[in-house]
Amino acid sequence: MQTHIVSLLVEDRPGVLTRMSGMFTMRGINITSLTVSPCEKKGLSRMTVAIKGTESEVEKVRKQLSNLIEVVKVVDLRADEAIICDLCLLKVHTKDSEVRLEVMQLAQSYGAKIMDAALDSVILELTEEPMKIDRFVDLMQHFGVKQLFRTGVTAIGRGAGGG
Amino acid sequence: MSREKLSGAEIVIEELKDEGVEVAFGIPGGVLLDLYDVIYKQDAIRHILMRHEQCAAHAADGYARVSGRTGVCIATSGPGATNLVTGLANASMDSVPVVALTGQVVTSAIGTNAFQEASTFTITMPVTKHNFLVKRTEDLPKVIHNAFHIASTGRKGVVLVDLPKDVLADVAKVNLHPKETFAGYKPNIKPNKVQTKKTAETLATAERPLILAGGGVISSNATEELRSLAELLGAGVVTTLMGKGAIPEDHPLCLGMAGMHGHVYANRAINECDALLALGTRFSDRLTAWQLDQFAPDATMIHVDIDTAEINKNIQVDIPIVGDVKLALDDILKWLEKHKKLGGKSVWMQRIKEMHSACDECIKDVKRAGTSLSDMFVKELNRILDDDAVITTEVGQCQMFAAHYYMTKRPRRFITSGGLGTMGFGFPAAIGAQVGAPDNKVVDIAGDGSFLMTCQDLATCVENDIPVVVCILDNRYLGMVRQWQELFFDKKYSHTGLGLTPDFVKLAEAFGCYAERVEKPEGLKDVLGNAFKSGKPAVIDLIVGKDDKILPMIPPGGGIMGMIGTERCKHI
Repeated sequence: MQTHIVSLLVEDRPGVLTRMSGMFTMRGINITSLTVSPCEKKGLSRMTVAIKGTESEVEKVRKQLSNLIEVVKVVDLRADEAIICDLCLLKVHTKDSEVRLEVMQLAQSYGAKIMDAALDSVILELTEEPMKIDRFVDLMQHFGVKQLFRTGVTAIGRGAGGG
Repeated sequence: MSREKLSGAEIVIEELKDEGVEVAFGIPGGVLLDLYDVIYKQDAIRHILMRHEQCAAHAADGYARVSGRTGVCIATSGPGATNLVTGLANASMDSVPVVALTGQVVTSAIGTNAFQEASTFTITMPVTKHNFLVKRTEDLPKVIHNAFHIASTGRKGVVLVDLPKDVLADVAKVNLHPKETFAGYKPNIKPNKVQTKKTAETLATAERPLILAGGGVISSNATEELRSLAELLGAGVVTTLMGKGAIPEDHPLCLGMAGMHGHVYANRAINECDALLALGTRFSDRLTAWQLDQFAPDATMIHVDIDTAEINKNIQVDIPIVGDVKLALDDILKWLEKHKKLGGKSVWMQRIKEMHSACDECIKDVKRAGTSLSDMFVKELNRILDDDAVITTEVGQCQMFAAHYYMTKRPRRFITSGGLGTMGFGFPAAIGAQVGAPDNKVVDIAGDGSFLMTCQDLATCVENDIPVVVCILDNRYLGMVRQWQELFFDKKYSHTGLGLTPDFVKLAEAFGCYAERVEKPEGLKDVLGNAFKSGKPAVIDLIVGKDDKILPMIPPGGGIMGMIGTERCKHI
């Protein structure tokens, strides 16, 4: 079982998301993350779906997704051939000014932005590949993460390939 | 085409006419008054008023299977639409082209739990190839055109169009009969030449080639090509349940239906072949059974299917071909005719001949030892009905008696619920079949349990002069479940006994049908003759034994070589 990222180009209309997610539901596959957004073509949207599954499960779903009338294109993106990003917002507990300074320094070293600062917490934003965000969040747990929001991955194929 | 000012309902009917629709099966309702007002004012499309929406869907399905055209059914919002669902799921599973039109509450009331509101769009999503909820009257021409286009192309299927009341009532200026389709809908029709060449070479050099014909052979109208290829190669042909009629079952190369309730030698041929050309089949578990090491273990597996998603889904294949069966067979035939490099297959042909006659003998022998009344009635039908008669079936023992013993000679003449296994399908499907083939005899081989699920539509038959004949194999049990309880659950007949209700003859007579009871198979011919002569819809109650079993069969968990109940089969 490994994480696969399936990128879909779909028609932008009501019901497409239900139809797409229904394909996964029917096969008992859990969606790890999902993003939907407009794309470069008018009237079309791009969905990026991260799922855990075996090679053959993912292959079967990919074919079924291609069969959906409103799905224009399906690409199974491989990690080594794509740029994969996730955006994370987290509110970290800072009990005193010393801790706050330490959190801010660590955030800077990861390239995270400081979005807001209060006396007892700071809000950080990091856009990175998911693994790096995992590490950053783990680190911040040390100080106490009050809230964590992640958008889920979006991905684009490198060079001429993908999506 | 100039822009015309029409109501939504008028647009729907104009587009249906443009698609060549000649009949629709439906039931009106509150939100469909505008549509039915337009139906009232025209006579290009015949509307048959059904007595239950499930039957409307099954009738459209039966009509489509017999005629090869797209069937149309209509139901109102809420319960009308939810009643359709079983019928739509049934047609979807068997890849039958059906367009369903449903009424919906006014757009402003959608999502408010208005009277007779159901979310038809979301409810029917998993049982359709595609569905639409139309929000604007001006979208109707494109939607209706696409509904028919999607239903009848690629892997055929069901498309539902949900029509809110205001969308039907409002007037809009539109261009009728648009041709534009969806960017993402491009069915793979043309087979890859490299793959068809590889297939032809494999079949030419194979010593024991076998063709497995599925429903796709019939839906792509490839029965002539199938026969030519089998004869050219000297290949045996077995069929799936859905493939019955793809080749005449009395053809010397045909070994009949394979699978769980198939012919023992059809299954054996699959086990013995060295090249298996599977055409338009999805390798359902009822065909392959569960011990896959017995399913063509020595064969080069070739799979032709129009749906990419079926390739390597249930069975791993060596040569996949995505495309239309007819086009693929054309390519294979052309290559073989050009290269004329056929290896010696005389030993295999001798074997096929032997296997063919073993089953043929049994089917023709009405009074064979070990034969039950149920077998005998179906065998009798072979002697009475002409090749063009249409058989529909209900589901369960009656279906398998029909599939096993009825010899189908032509395509689109054996109509059965293959994938979903819907009890109550056969009778309304017969109604649709009779409408699609008005000059043919249509006989539903029913069970008493199934028939009672949809028999209210006898009223439809009588009111519309649709003279279908229902032959009930009447054992007063849910026979197939009882058979399993007998064989695998220590004869504990839990809730399979149906008691003595109703008297089917009186029931049918109450509807105004011709009806008679037959207790001996040899009496069937005269009674059936009388039924056809009456010109009325008819119900013939055939009394059969509760212990009748459809055998041989593959027990659950078994493989195609592990059939039980083969005592009556000729051993060769």
